Amino acid sequence: MDILKLLVNILLFPGGLFAILLALFLLGIDRKLYARLQRRVGPPIHQPLLDLIKLTQKETLIPRTANMTAFRLAPLLGFAGMLAAFALIPITGIYSGLYQSGDLLVLLYLLSTPALALMIGASASGSPYSSVGASREMTMVLAYEVPLLIVFLTVGMRVGLAGGKFAVLSMSGIVNYQLQNGSLLLDLRMLPAFLAFLCCIPGTLGVVPFDIPEAETELAEGPLLEYSGSGLAMFKMTGGLKMLVLSALAVALFFPTGIGSFWLVNLLWFIVKCLIICVFSITLVRATRARMRLDQAYKFFLIYPTSLTLISLVLILLTFRMPS
Amino acid sequence: MSEFIQNIVKKSPWIYRINAGSCNGCDVEMATTALIPRYDVERLGCKYCGSPKHADIVLISGPITAVVKDKMLRVYNEIPNPKVVVAVGICPISGGVFRESYSIDNQLDAYIPVDVNVPGCPPRPQAIIDGIAKAIEIWKSKF
Repeated sequence: MDILKLLVNILLFPGGLFAILLALFLLGIDRKLYARLQRRVGPPIHQPLLDLIKLTQKETLIPRTANMTAFRLAPLLGFAGMLAAFALIPITGIYSGLYQSGDLLVLLYLLSTPALALMIGASASGSPYSSVGASREMTMVLAYEVPLLIVFLTVGMRVGLAGGKFAVLSMSGIVNYQLQNGSLLLDLRMLPAFLAFLCCIPGTLGVVPFDIPEAETELAEGPLLEYSGSGLAMFKMTGGLKMLVLSALAVALFFPTGIGSFWLVNLLWFIVKCLIICVFSITLVRATRARMRLDQAYKFFLIYPTSLTLISLVLILLTFRMPS
Repeated sequence: MSEFIQNIVKKSPWIYRINAGSCNGCDVEMATTALIPRYDVERLGCKYCGSPKHADIVLISGPITAVVKDKMLRVYNEIPNPKVVVAVGICPISGGVFRESYSIDNQLDAYIPVDVNVPGCPPRPQAIIDGIAKAIEIWKSKF
């Protein structure tokens, strides 16, 4: 019975089918809004779905120099990781997450699976452009994981210290605390950490100011260069899912409060919150910024988001009083 | 079923550019068709892609000089089927101002099948968009 519930959670709701549809919707809104910001008409909102169907109908080419097994399995790895990651995130009023403790760290590991899949696929393809892309991807991972980890730690300690423990790293623990004591976003001490998380989202996704690994104009799509057909579709889908997972994570960590107790209202409210995060941290940034160089991006992550979260962490430790 | 797929597929053609010795005039016009707000091909679902392996419609400009011919054919062969070729500008069609030059062996359709010709030196963005729209119709029927 537990296994059955787990499978439903990962393959139907909230991971799997629901996550894929929602991710496609977010991607479509993102593309449409991006075009509107440039005063273009833009593609229809269901364009990402059309692209996926088109890609599955195309021929799949595998380069002669590629390592067949790794090249074919890499897209699946990232995709599966993201489906499992979305199943770990609670949605207020509808779904309470998979496990009771320690899942924020599991999430951090799962969040790096798409980057890992990209690196494996790129190295297996045997193309020089792909290997340059893979090494850049690796550098980016090293840069953005530092602030991301400190944000998680900050949120965990904020919730933990308030409850008399050192840190609470379970998703459901963090969400339940906020449902009882109000969102962490309303706490001014947490504002820098929230901003730092928003900075990390485009870097983790590899969209425009930080699309250094995939740089179309210099590396010809980098790690994705040799992928065509269904493999490419899988990678595109993984990118969309990652966008959804990160925005859902921002919602769960900083403002998970729901409206009323009716599930449909809560679901729509959750989607609206995800959309707000996507628009502000991805679309607006993507439409107004140009690509950074690798060293600039590396410095950016190690200076701005990291110091922002550290400010939050220090403020929390300074204002901490032992519960009497 | 196949008609259903065709109707979905025709809304998502991805474009790739090959410069086969062009003077860059046609390339500027091609960039213009997609990259500036005035002529938006993304409303047709088009997207410029950086890798030939992601492409559906390939726009070739330039008179196919002897040096670039083999490289052009190699890139062309990397594009997964079904694919459609659009010759942009007068150069790939007949050689244009470079006709009978020592560095040009033959025109584009002597090497690969060309589906749409967009003549001009350079062609107007509207003509390129029209060529892409015609190419989409041909491409769709190949599924």
